[in-house]
Amino acid sequence: MTSFADSALSLLDDRDASSDRRDAWRAFTTLGLPTTSDEVWRYAPLGDLDLDRFALATRADASAPSALARSLAQHAGLVVTMIDGELAEVSGELAGVSVTAEESDWSAHYDSDAFAQLNCALHPTTVTLRVADGVSVDEPILVVNTITAGASFPQLRVVSARGSRASVVEFLDGGADSLVVPLTEFDVGDDAYLVVSSYQRLHTSAWHIARSTGRLGRGARLHQSVISVGAHYNRSRNDAEFLGTGAENELRTTFLGFGDQVHDFRTRQFHKVGRTRSTLLSKGAVADTARSVYTGLIEIEKGAKRTDARQTNHNLLLSPHAHADSVPNLDIRENDVMCAHASSVGPLDELQRWYLESRGVTRPDAERLMIQGFFYEMLATLPRELAAVVEDDLGSTLGRLATVRA
Amino acid sequence: MSTLTIQGLRVEVAGKEVLKGFDLAMSSGEVHVIMGPNGSGKSTLAHALAGHPGYRVTAGSARIDGVELLELSPTERTRHGLFLALQHPMEVPGVRPVDLLAAAGAPREGLAELMAEEARRVELRPEVLERFVNVDLSGGERKRAEMVQLAVLRPKFAMLDEIDSGLDVDALGAVARRLQETTTEWGCGVLAITHFRRLLHELTATKIHVVTDGRVVATGGPEMAEILEKDGYEPFRIGL
Repeated sequence: MTSFADSALSLLDDRDASSDRRDAWRAFTTLGLPTTSDEVWRYAPLGDLDLDRFALATRADASAPSALARSLAQHAGLVVTMIDGELAEVSGELAGVSVTAEESDWSAHYDSDAFAQLNCALHPTTVTLRVADGVSVDEPILVVNTITAGASFPQLRVVSARGSRASVVEFLDGGADSLVVPLTEFDVGDDAYLVVSSYQRLHTSAWHIARSTGRLGRGARLHQSVISVGAHYNRSRNDAEFLGTGAENELRTTFLGFGDQVHDFRTRQFHKVGRTRSTLLSKGAVADTARSVYTGLIEIEKGAKRTDARQTNHNLLLSPHAHADSVPNLDIRENDVMCAHASSVGPLDELQRWYLESRGVTRPDAERLMIQGFFYEMLATLPRELAAVVEDDLGSTLGRLATVRA
Repeated sequence: MSTLTIQGLRVEVAGKEVLKGFDLAMSSGEVHVIMGPNGSGKSTLAHALAGHPGYRVTAGSARIDGVELLELSPTERTRHGLFLALQHPMEVPGVRPVDLLAAAGAPREGLAELMAEEARRVELRPEVLERFVNVDLSGGERKRAEMVQLAVLRPKFAMLDEIDSGLDVDALGAVARRLQETTTEWGCGVLAITHFRRLLHELTATKIHVVTDGRVVATGGPEMAEILEKDGYEPFRIGL
């Protein structure tokens, strides 16, 4: 028995954990941590992952929000603060929106995913945001998830009831020397419209292994952006399941990799029924000796006629020592569908750079503008004021990067 | 008063010599128009001077006030006063025109207002400039957006590559008038490359140069346009 396992079991005892949590823990111990010989984990530096290094986050210490979290909060109608996955504070109020800490059992959703099972066993609570039937929320809802240290297992659920509209912005920060394993589920009801933008800006020593799943009812729309800058190893799996006709999912994933970061993006658009539409745009840039992999699966069930699924992946190489892999996959069991995928890996476009230089922009500034631009395009789901805050923050990260490179 | 002097310029594109000893001299406030058939090297001149990576200068010189441009980076050439308005300006996704111009050296203070004003002067809806550089702009809008950049950056010499193509008559008039005004507003020297005479209805040429096969074969005043209109370029293909 390891020290991580000891503390996990004693945590389960202390909390008088449900049999569901104990089942999830057993599922995890049976599965064991994956290894790089598992195809889906082959790019992860799992040999360096030692759970015993991480103390389980037990009780959330109050911690002052970061300057960036405060800037974002200024433009939100409701701010939900989570610390290490605990619901710490809710400030503001929006009609038709509730925030609760609930019990849930998601173990059955993730049978062979060891990290997800770990989360199901050890998550402090399921922070649940509900947008009531037909409610249209104009102001963004901000979820600040601050990681203080150790191993944490945040769970977030957003339930958009029938015909509702809302925009949720998730911000993940902190996390020096931590392991963060978030699980997130979006239930988008019939004709509901949910916009979710996640900005992951953990400390570059963190392990971040995240998974989100959107379930879309009839005519539901989920527009999701995932922007990742932080973590040493950043794993981001984002799935969408189309359960009702007319459902639409737009997913943008983007990352900036520097130092020796690894960004590992996985997506799965599962079209179970016809007349559904998915648009996926994945863009990332890697500098220094950073590596990235994008693996996207479009799965179309037999009978899901008139499905329209598109997948695009562009990778920017900012250093000769950086590396990006792009692996689009299609699993189509129906003929009457529209399906397309495209991918590219390469340096900055020489002619675009020349165009900027020919206006009098210096080469470093031209490159900075283009790299920023590469990301700004990806902020389309963010409300304008919040996008400006994220743009500034990305700009300063890129500025530091340019200095390091020069 | 500034001078732009191009002497014996030879340029290769994809290993093939396109400019074969090009000469031209002009001063501030003048309008020079370069006319010539397709493939004569007009666009090559503009791109080579602006340092486009696909164009290789093999001989010759191009100076502004004695400073050799061909030894400078594209950025430095522009900062020494040379500006190229392209026939097909590139899309640069994610970059806003205002950020481009600020990075190019325009003062931030009042920049957005100046851009909006300059947009109006070439009959471009100012909100078009809130989109990313040239993204989702029509051909004509791009031309006018280039004019806005030109007017904000106030170069000593502006080269315009086929600025008239893709513009309707009204827009062309506005662009030509704006160009004419630059010659007096800050003494801009205008070097306009065109196929068509119609640009010259609103823009008064100091000189017209006829280019065939990579060099200037004839130079004259505004009357040259009428000769070209009547007889075409054939009489100028001397020695071919």
